Amino acid sequence: MTIANKASRAPKKLSMKQRYQVLTRDLDWEPTYVDPKDVFPHTEFEGITIHDWSKWEDPFRLTVDAYCKYQAEKDKRLYAVLDGFAQSQGHLTLTDASYLNAMKLFLQGVTPLEYQAHRNFAYLARHLNGPGPRFASLCQSIDELRHTQTEIHTLSNDNKYYSGFHNFQQMHDRVWYLSVPKSFFGDALASGPFEFLIAIGFSFEYLLTNLLFVPFMSGASFNGDLPTMTFGFSAQSDESRHMTLGLEAIKFLLEQDEANVPTVQAWIDKWFWRGYRVTALIAQMLDYMLPRKVMSWKEAFELYFEEQMLKGLFADLAFYGITPPRHVEDAIAEKEILSHQVYWTLYQFSHAAAFTTSVPTAEHEKWLAETYPETFDKLYKELWDKERENIAGGGRHFVRGLPQLCQVCQIPMLFTEPGDPTTICQRESEFKGEKFQTCSNGCQWIFEREPEKYVQAWLPVHQIYQGSCGGPTVPDVLAWYGVQEGDSGEHRGSLDDRRWQEWHADSVKEGN
Amino acid sequence: MPVKSIGTYDFPSRSRQELYGDDQLVHVWFQGNPWFCAAACYRAPKAMRWGDFWSQLVVPWAEEDPDFDPGARYAWSLHGQPLSPGDDETLEALGVVHKDVIGMRVEAG
Repeated sequence: MTIANKASRAPKKLSMKQRYQVLTRDLDWEPTYVDPKDVFPHTEFEGITIHDWSKWEDPFRLTVDAYCKYQAEKDKRLYAVLDGFAQSQGHLTLTDASYLNAMKLFLQGVTPLEYQAHRNFAYLARHLNGPGPRFASLCQSIDELRHTQTEIHTLSNDNKYYSGFHNFQQMHDRVWYLSVPKSFFGDALASGPFEFLIAIGFSFEYLLTNLLFVPFMSGASFNGDLPTMTFGFSAQSDESRHMTLGLEAIKFLLEQDEANVPTVQAWIDKWFWRGYRVTALIAQMLDYMLPRKVMSWKEAFELYFEEQMLKGLFADLAFYGITPPRHVEDAIAEKEILSHQVYWTLYQFSHAAAFTTSVPTAEHEKWLAETYPETFDKLYKELWDKERENIAGGGRHFVRGLPQLCQVCQIPMLFTEPGDPTTICQRESEFKGEKFQTCSNGCQWIFEREPEKYVQAWLPVHQIYQGSCGGPTVPDVLAWYGVQEGDSGEHRGSLDDRRWQEWHADSVKEGN
Repeated sequence: MPVKSIGTYDFPSRSRQELYGDDQLVHVWFQGNPWFCAAACYRAPKAMRWGDFWSQLVVPWAEEDPDFDPGARYAWSLHGQPLSPGDDETLEALGVVHKDVIGMRVEAG
């Protein structure tokens, strides 16, 4: 018997790269007594060909312990900020209570999407054949769940003092304007795994992330919302990993087989327009909801989309035969009018929403006219002037009825003809003898590509008329939405506005 | 192009006419009037007379616009063609089908 040298028995410490290798590749095996097609049954029906899953490169090479350590550190920092803000009544230092309309939209419209993303990345973590993309999807799935939780936790402080935060999940499932983001994500969830990767991993997380997610965080930092800003920072390192996953996914599909290129191009065409239509809500948020402006929608679109994506990303993707998305010219042509048209719509339907709206102040109008010199004074100022007269006469523009909705994006049919900002764009298609209207060339193209999918759309207006939404009257529907007094309508004189004035009058009295 | 699916993919429309019984959805698009951001959508009986459709559904919606004049002359259109509805004609007799869009524009002069 020999006694082993003590030093040689000590476990060898593996490098991070080795540990990643062990975790992803060594825990994977080729099935021998089950057909691989039965193990991974969802990766062939979309018509994508993958020759070699091992070619997937995960540039981050995270391991479970490293992942948990980073996330725990970030959470600690975030929760310290949340505590400090809550204890010091930080909400009183926001620019105005009306700023929180942007956060209501975020909690109602975006946070539930994080949870949906968590679910589908968990599905990819099981169903993709390669161990590299499975582990990357697992990390993203956990990230998305963490984002859901931290966003809810961050904004729960606002729920103690303000309206519109109390019932976001039910609202997301039921309220008309939230069917826009919900149906967008539902469309992706109902796709195959590769289309989902292009829809969410690439289009949502890469192509449009600076127009979808970042504007809320920048808006928070400009309006004194330290907790949301900190949440944004906390999510940022995850988001850069998600962007890399999205980019890696598209390159992987394109490099695996040339026959994948037309399929991927069609998904880019579809998901660019689907995502772009969701950004309509962000456009109005940037230009109308933030008391202190970060940048205009037009500037954001030019910088983050035209400069960075069209001139940067698509120049790179041209190597693979990928061209800029179909209908991108229509999106570019809308940048001067989009936010005005959308806010005018939300303004006149805010009696049925869970946020509040107001006529822009003189100072705000001046900014709009300077920022949009070609369009604001010419097309939209007269509407607000007429509304001021209407209010002076005792009115307030709330539409008495329900709008026509686009069958694909589900936004009221408010968008105008390319090149003619005064004529509403009406497109009509027929499928199995039934008419379906869409708001744009982009949405019509998407409908006609897969009509069987979009005929199933749960359009809020049609559902109200079918009697599925609590009853026929506005109060019936609002009760079914879970909307309470103070959540909706005009901001000036609203519950939030009155409380805000009261709290600040108290601080003036106390000499604070 | 059909949906690429793992199984049979055939589902009914969630807004097919039969779900509305004897009624149908009808849109009214007030052209040239930016006060209303989008066309209105109504649920109306197929047998509803035009006069009732106008007074019970269209006017209560349109009069929210302070400049709306119910007595003005309106040019109507359906399926890209001019429409001359008589008060006693039913929507069905006028050729209005489920989810049609009726155009409405104030006539000049």
